[in-house]
Amino acid sequence: MPLTGLQIFKLLPNTNCKKCGYPTCLTFAMKLAAGKEALEKCPDASPEAKAALGAASAPPIRGVTVGRGDRAITVGEETVFFRHEKTFVRHPGLFQIFDPAGLTAAERDAKLDHWRAIRIERAGETFQVDGIAVVETAESVAAAVAASDRGFPVAILAATLPGATAIAERIKEHRPLLVPPAGANLEGYAALAARLGIPLVVGAPDLASLADAARDAARAGVTDILLEPPGADPRLLHHSLSAIRRGALDRIHPGLGHPVFLCVGAGEIEKAVLGITKFASLVALADCGGETWLPLWTLRQNIYTDPQKPLQMDPGLYAIGEPNDRSPLLVTSNFSLTYFIVSTEAEASGVACHLAVVDAEGLSVLTAWSAGKFSGDRVAKALREMKAAERVSHHTVIIPGYVPVISGELEDALGDGWHVLVGPQEASDIAPFFRDVWGPLARDLGTHP
Amino acid sequence: MSLDLKPKKWAGALREVTLGAGSRRPVAVGGGNGLPLHTFEAAFPHRPALALEITDVDPVRWVESVRQPWEGVLGRPAEAARRAVADFGADLLLVHLMGTHTDRGNRSPEQAAADVGAVLEAVNVPLIVKGPGAGQKQNTVLARVAEDCRGEGLALHSATNEDYKTLAAVAVAYGHALVGESPIDVNMAKQLNILLADSNVDLNRVLIDPLTGGLGYGLEYSYSVMERIRLAALGGDAMLNCPIVCLVGEEAWKAKEAKVPADKEPLWGSQRERGIHWEVATAMTLIEAGAEVVVLRHPETLDRIRKQLDSWFGSEPSHDREGVVQNSFRATDEHR
Ligand code: B12
Ligand code: SF4
Repeated sequence: MPLTGLQIFKLLPNTNCKKCGYPTCLTFAMKLAAGKEALEKCPDASPEAKAALGAASAPPIRGVTVGRGDRAITVGEETVFFRHEKTFVRHPGLFQIFDPAGLTAAERDAKLDHWRAIRIERAGETFQVDGIAVVETAESVAAAVAASDRGFPVAILAATLPGATAIAERIKEHRPLLVPPAGANLEGYAALAARLGIPLVVGAPDLASLADAARDAARAGVTDILLEPPGADPRLLHHSLSAIRRGALDRIHPGLGHPVFLCVGAGEIEKAVLGITKFASLVALADCGGETWLPLWTLRQNIYTDPQKPLQMDPGLYAIGEPNDRSPLLVTSNFSLTYFIVSTEAEASGVACHLAVVDAEGLSVLTAWSAGKFSGDRVAKALREMKAAERVSHHTVIIPGYVPVISGELEDALGDGWHVLVGPQEASDIAPFFRDVWGPLARDLGTHP
Repeated sequence: MSLDLKPKKWAGALREVTLGAGSRRPVAVGGGNGLPLHTFEAAFPHRPALALEITDVDPVRWVESVRQPWEGVLGRPAEAARRAVADFGADLLLVHLMGTHTDRGNRSPEQAAADVGAVLEAVNVPLIVKGPGAGQKQNTVLARVAEDCRGEGLALHSATNEDYKTLAAVAVAYGHALVGESPIDVNMAKQLNILLADSNVDLNRVLIDPLTGGLGYGLEYSYSVMERIRLAALGGDAMLNCPIVCLVGEEAWKAKEAKVPADKEPLWGSQRERGIHWEVATAMTLIEAGAEVVVLRHPETLDRIRKQLDSWFGSEPSHDREGVVQNSFRATDEHR
């Protein structure tokens, strides 16, 4: 909890020496409380003052990094309970649980290569497998090394302390996450994590012992900790997740100020949904099919979007394929989701085209239109700025089918020689529209799309 | 060190709304005095209710995997209703009179009322009746249904800020509840409730439909707006404390991701499972945000959401609550 001005004032020398640039210590304290000044400006502040202020300004939930290099993932550092209060900042990492038992080296590598190759573009984000959670078995050292070599952050789902030690020692430079078995005595694992300087998951059967266990691990020298919440059923899990977040924000116990780790078994997508919406920071999933991962990636994208500013595209004229001056010209809004859907469908049609992305402040077509951001005038102005007239000889623009109302205004605003063509409502109908409407029209215009 | 986790107490609570009257077995929703699912610190007299959507005509645009469980009864509302209640266990139904839309058959208000009447005869659960969408036709259809089915405590879907007077009047006259729909906006939801209250509608008979964005298509907006509506209600705002209904199935199954076959997008996995997951994830997320009634399309989704809710609200004490997570892929302490 941040300190009040008066609380800070009590920590200052109270000499009113003005070296900080303020007439009195109290004025300076007020500025500090408002976050508008830094304590460094007072040369005479005591170490106690520094410590107290430092602790109070530290984020309520620590950041933890797993892995190294391009794919390293940092989680935590959240500051709110509701996303509309500010935003959730660090989206949870989704790890693939991998049990290498019984696989040949070639089979193992084929799986890892497959997971590494997965890249799914959606609305301005690339979905990928964020890390591999290796189940400890006889084959796990090699598997963990193979995963690390491919750049994956690794979580070690330990079964035994000696086994986990063997794996962790081998890949310690890659900052693996150490996950002790459920119910384990944590001392040995904490000592291992502290010695190697790697992050550790701490679990316990109830919240009070969880907070104490995290505090004990920190005292044992572990700097990066994740909490595994009690969660034998959805109700208990939801309770734990909510209580940990609230307790961390209210700073009621130092052991709660860490990100949360969650293991999700096969066929338990509901548990992952709960985790992603309610504050989990690393989620390890046993299922490996797209039917599980795609909804979860998408949910994460939704929940972790900044509610104050929707994902936006830079406005401009985008090329789909290799269009020329006879290719169709489509216009849409700069909401990333809209752009993503329209460009995907246009691309799938196989017809090269120009896509004019108009600045509609990141709103969908209909929302933008009702807010006055996708009016004929605005679209015309944008097309002029993009010099669309120089890019297409047919001077025909195709607008989304949900806003036929703007066509008259747009035609007037564009002026001489421009035609407005109302496209289909759904982007998925763009291909048949090109075939059935644009094709014959373009032939009439003497051009060939 | 003990943990001092103080339960959060709020000034306000949700209104309790009872759906169904007359020959219906009523279902009450709302009434809770805490954040959604926060059963550890607040009291919830009712669990969220799960509805299935049935239609008056064959919903030809439904994707094959949602049509499959309804095979043989699509476009036959009474039989579909029987299956929804007897086989699939729906708490209530949404009867979507899509066929009354001028572009989808233009069925008459009389036919619509007969369809709803047949459903009322077939099952005894409460009904939400959804018209063809805003406009004159919507009002004539729902007014006729309201009149013919008086006293059954239907929930009429929906009144909007622009057009609420007719439905407000028939709801009051014939003893029905009313769903007020507003486009993802706290202030507009509140304004509509004020308008309804001014038209003599008892707000204890109103549900808020804040408009659902499906997973990947605006879900985050619905989520946050619903959280804010709930916070206002708990803060004591008597114009925003009606329970929320979300038309989940309709939005979830609109998504391309729920429909595209596996052979077109090999990385996306099985279409059948993916579609159901899409609906499950949308429903679960919105229940967390405060939905008290969710309307679904796939019976498997309903079954799975019900199992989840049993954990919070089930009459049986949940087993092994203080136990540790036991997953097959996690070793236990014994191995050490
Ligand atoms: C999420 C949402 C919001 C979000 C905004 C999200 C965003 N970034 O845009 C918020 C909550 C902020 C919002 C606000 C409002 N909203 Co709103 N919103 C929605 C909602 C639920 C989804 C919109 C969406 O994301 N769609 C997905 C995108 C991809 O759709 P799209 O851009 O239209 O693109 C599709 C097609 O148009 C087509 N397409 C797009 N470009 C092109 C180009 C070509 C050439 C072609 C052929 C096709 C094509 O392809 C896409 C997919 O097929 C819709 C209702 C719904 N379920 O659809 C209402 C909706 C759009 N909103 C509506 C309204 C009225 C508003 C408000 C005015 C309400 C208010 N008074 O506050 C405000 C206005 C905003 C403002 N003042 O700032 C109305 C619009 C009514 C109308 N017919 O004009 C809708 C339809 C809801 C309703 N039924 O009342 N909204
Ligand atoms: S420099 Fe420090 S001691 Fe001097 S007035 Fe400022 S706060 Fe007070």
